[in-house]
Amino acid sequence: MPRRRPKPLAFLLLPLAATLALSGCFASGTSAEQGTDGRISVAHMQPPRSAMNPLSDDAFKLARWSTAETLVSLDAAGDALPALATQWTQEDELSWIFSIREEVTFHNGQRLTAASVVNSLQRAIASTPAPRILDGVELSVRSAGENSVRITTASPDPLLPQRLSSPQLAIFDDAAYSPETVNPVGTGTGPFKLVAVDGVSGATLDRYDGYWGEPAQAPGIDVQFVPDGTARAAALRTGTADVVEAIPAGQAASIDPQLLTDVPMPRTNTLYLNTGSGPFADPAVRAAARAAIDRAAIVESVYEGRADIAEGLLGPALSYAAPYRGQKAYAAALAQRAQPAKIDGVQITLGTFTDRAELPEVAVRLEQQLEAAGFDVQQDVREYQYIEADALEGKFDAFILSRATVLDSGDPVAYLASDFGCEGGFAISQLCDKGVDQAIADAAKTPAGTDRQQAIMLAEARVLGTDAAIPLLHERVIQGESPRLKNAQRDPRERQLITAGTHLDGE
Amino acid sequence: MRRTNLLGLASRVVSGVGLLLVAGALPWLSRHDPAAAILRARYAELEPTEQALSAIREQLGLDQGPIAMSLQWWSAVLRGDLGNSWVSGTEIGPGLWQAVGVSATLTMFAVVVALLMAFALITPAVLRVLRDEPQRGSGPVGVAFTALPEFLLASVFLVVIGVQLQWLPPYGWTGIDTAILPALALGIPAGGLLGRLLADAISGVAEERWVVIWRLAGAGHRVILGGVIRRASAAVIDQLGLVFIGLLGGAVAVEQVFAIPGLGRYLLGAANSQDIPALQAGVLFMACAALCAGLLTNVLRRILRGGALPPGSLPPAPEPRNDGRIARWTAAVALALLLLILVFGLPRDPYLISHDRLAPPGLSLPFGADSSGRDLLARVAHGTISTLTPAFVIVLCAILAGLLLAVFGEAARGPAEIANATPPILAGVIIAALLGPSVGAVTLAVLWVTWPPLAAHAASLLEEAKAMPHIGWLALAGMSRTEIWARHVIPAVLPPLLRHGMLRLPGVALALAALGFLGLGAQPPQPEWGLLLAEGIDYVERAPWTTMAPAIALILTSVFAVALAGLRRQPGGSRHGRFPRGTVEEKESREFAEEPKRMAVTGS
Repeated sequence: MPRRRPKPLAFLLLPLAATLALSGCFASGTSAEQGTDGRISVAHMQPPRSAMNPLSDDAFKLARWSTAETLVSLDAAGDALPALATQWTQEDELSWIFSIREEVTFHNGQRLTAASVVNSLQRAIASTPAPRILDGVELSVRSAGENSVRITTASPDPLLPQRLSSPQLAIFDDAAYSPETVNPVGTGTGPFKLVAVDGVSGATLDRYDGYWGEPAQAPGIDVQFVPDGTARAAALRTGTADVVEAIPAGQAASIDPQLLTDVPMPRTNTLYLNTGSGPFADPAVRAAARAAIDRAAIVESVYEGRADIAEGLLGPALSYAAPYRGQKAYAAALAQRAQPAKIDGVQITLGTFTDRAELPEVAVRLEQQLEAAGFDVQQDVREYQYIEADALEGKFDAFILSRATVLDSGDPVAYLASDFGCEGGFAISQLCDKGVDQAIADAAKTPAGTDRQQAIMLAEARVLGTDAAIPLLHERVIQGESPRLKNAQRDPRERQLITAGTHLDGE
Repeated sequence: MRRTNLLGLASRVVSGVGLLLVAGALPWLSRHDPAAAILRARYAELEPTEQALSAIREQLGLDQGPIAMSLQWWSAVLRGDLGNSWVSGTEIGPGLWQAVGVSATLTMFAVVVALLMAFALITPAVLRVLRDEPQRGSGPVGVAFTALPEFLLASVFLVVIGVQLQWLPPYGWTGIDTAILPALALGIPAGGLLGRLLADAISGVAEERWVVIWRLAGAGHRVILGGVIRRASAAVIDQLGLVFIGLLGGAVAVEQVFAIPGLGRYLLGAANSQDIPALQAGVLFMACAALCAGLLTNVLRRILRGGALPPGSLPPAPEPRNDGRIARWTAAVALALLLLILVFGLPRDPYLISHDRLAPPGLSLPFGADSSGRDLLARVAHGTISTLTPAFVIVLCAILAGLLLAVFGEAARGPAEIANATPPILAGVIIAALLGPSVGAVTLAVLWVTWPPLAAHAASLLEEAKAMPHIGWLALAGMSRTEIWARHVIPAVLPPLLRHGMLRLPGVALALAALGFLGLGAQPPQPEWGLLLAEGIDYVERAPWTTMAPAIALILTSVFAVALAGLRRQPGGSRHGRFPRGTVEEKESREFAEEPKRMAVTGS
């Protein structure tokens, strides 16, 4: 045995030295320190899924930071407003002319032209998979002079301007596009310029001085992606972030309520009942399930009161929905519902998924309520990607889904058609009802306005009349804001958060 | 000698090539349609029409079959091109390197913490060497440290240090201050394990004969201590390598809590969205890292032992002499508490909502209620069954597999080394990506990382058993081979293997819980410990009992199993007199000292 003593210190110093050598590996730029420089720090929930490629759901983040802009934007009621397009006219049933705003420059200094608009939209149309908003829609885009484009649809589309407000159809400079991907860094048109995206950890934006509209008040935005709910709540409590997206309901109780705002979501937690096969093929059994459910208990317990009890499929995020429910035509459609049957030991399978943490808890509550009414419930809970195919094939008697009703165009007809139409692609209820199909088709044909709203609500009543779906509740997202933050947007559509007018107090 | 070396080398080469082929063919092996997952990753709630799916399949070239796909991928990798992500279309290389850099930094910090922790834990044993006092076992405290799930520590640190005390930033990866909390969460359990092993090894080495001889020769305490530590470190240096690999690729949960863009999250994200090229690149990197760590620890061990030694020239580090009374009491108390939980919990209904949401513990509700108002005592008790049953099955299967593979000797060396260097989280992620998350998938994953040490142990036990004189006589006496095996060899080998398996049980349970926590194993509303922790983790501050209950059960299991394994020796330690050197018992001791439950660290 050699006599030399091993040096425990060397054990310690070696990793330490290596650590210091590696400390260049920390995320650069975005400092978590709250400075006095007026930059706004934002804590998002979901990290980017596809490196901020706007042809994915990451587009919503680009819109929320006001770095990417679309031809059209939506107001609170869902009507189209000019954005990068100053005006538009419908030439005939199928074609539209959009005038492109002049004097707009991309963040890299290039001018916005009709050609760049055509390029951006063509890329979106040609991408696989096509953006949700273009699902089942055939569009072609051509340049019509230096500052206007002509968009032609294969079938009449009264909602085309609303469609173009989807963040996935934002306009970027040609430099953003490579054969494999779309890189929004420095190629948008908004009041904030995306400077850097740091993988799944954060992003940096600076004010863009060449913006065509009112310039941004804040000098920049520092974004961090924080998947853990406890950590996001901590961000608000410690002042690490000025805006925090989606604080879990369970954490809200430990935060100063003045910092929190409930934003109603156009999202409905719905119990879909399988009308195609199994016990729920019988309308009377479906009615029994409807009668068994106590929505208030679920909202109070699982959501701690931070959700709205569902009166229909469309929630308070659509302000026009509630008034129509008092109308006679609506009540008449609802009156078609069957009388609840007496249930004794009917076996059903109840499916849901774990990606939204509340859903398994909702399933537990529902199981208990349904069993109290005489059903024998067997739960099947998996991660969404492993359960979707089975759900769509109708393998469950009942399925709880948290479904966005107006995600892209601000209009719920596409949702009604895909979930409850005979040809629908998301038909968990396997519903095929002539009355429902007719009502949805009527709504789809009606131009935007109160007539369309009425037609939509009638279609909702028709769906509810079949008891194919039992709306449980409408979710809210809890947005946290530090007291010094002013004018942040609380957008149910999750398209806006920081705008040109958002700033920190005390500058 | 040379033949076995050649066989071992051939086995390593063959299994290495096998691993590479499997990595290249991952897309084809996936049981789920990657096209649907990719669609989902890009656009939530887009209708998965056949048209959209087939467009994606065509774009990715999924229709070529496994061999073409694997060869294509490898030829690109050899050109230095890791390919493009299926989900974002961007190049994989830069993103992977960034994640590796972050994870390497975090791992280094965690290793510093772990070493500090280990030094603290070995201090009593070191002091005893200096004072020339008789050695004792490390006791239940060290075991309890190793049984703490990292993600639980992470959440507690975040709430207490990050939010309530506001000493450090609660999350992020922007500077050294943000690295402290995650390093503590990762380093404390790792250091607990290393420290316990090292302390046990020191106690064992301190009783070896050469120490007595050195003392008689008049060597100073410090010289003796140096020798003892050097000898003991050589026995646990392999563990340091495994801990390092586990921290590098298996720190998913902690990375998620602190929003650290590390390798673990990268791999889990790739697996969840079925971004197979990214997963392949990550697996390739982890395989290389494991190889390097293995080589490095080999070199370090040689240096510590003072050069290459022919096998057998160094007596194996003996097992420490545990204080039998303490071990017995610890085992009894832990078992009694576990049984109490089972006796009072099993008759209760783990699914019934009969209490207030997050009701605090009370007389009628000893562990309180969870966020749905279910009785936590009932859920923990039923969770004991649904967590420990697969754990037992895994250990038994591993023993069986170990016995079978031990017969192959050197030929099983390659697969064993690969399996041994896989962090259970990584195995779980890959298997879940291929089979979908389920109890079966995680059981398979944990089994994959559990069998190698048992196989190694079984091989050495078999060798010893066959070399025993009376077995040699049996063959001469005309007994058939089958009978010798069935009646003499296996009965001699099985008991120590079972005890070794017992020692691995808590690590297996913790690995299962960690995978359950990540949503890769059992699915709600099942009461499984990992799921219970996942359900409670959001309420760590408001209702600490939601995580306390399953954590206590995990700790009790570990303490019980380790104490039970320590019980087999007679108090008084007269076994050196009863067994000649190099017997079955002796080999077994070495295996215990060198190959303990590493999953406690790499598992979460």
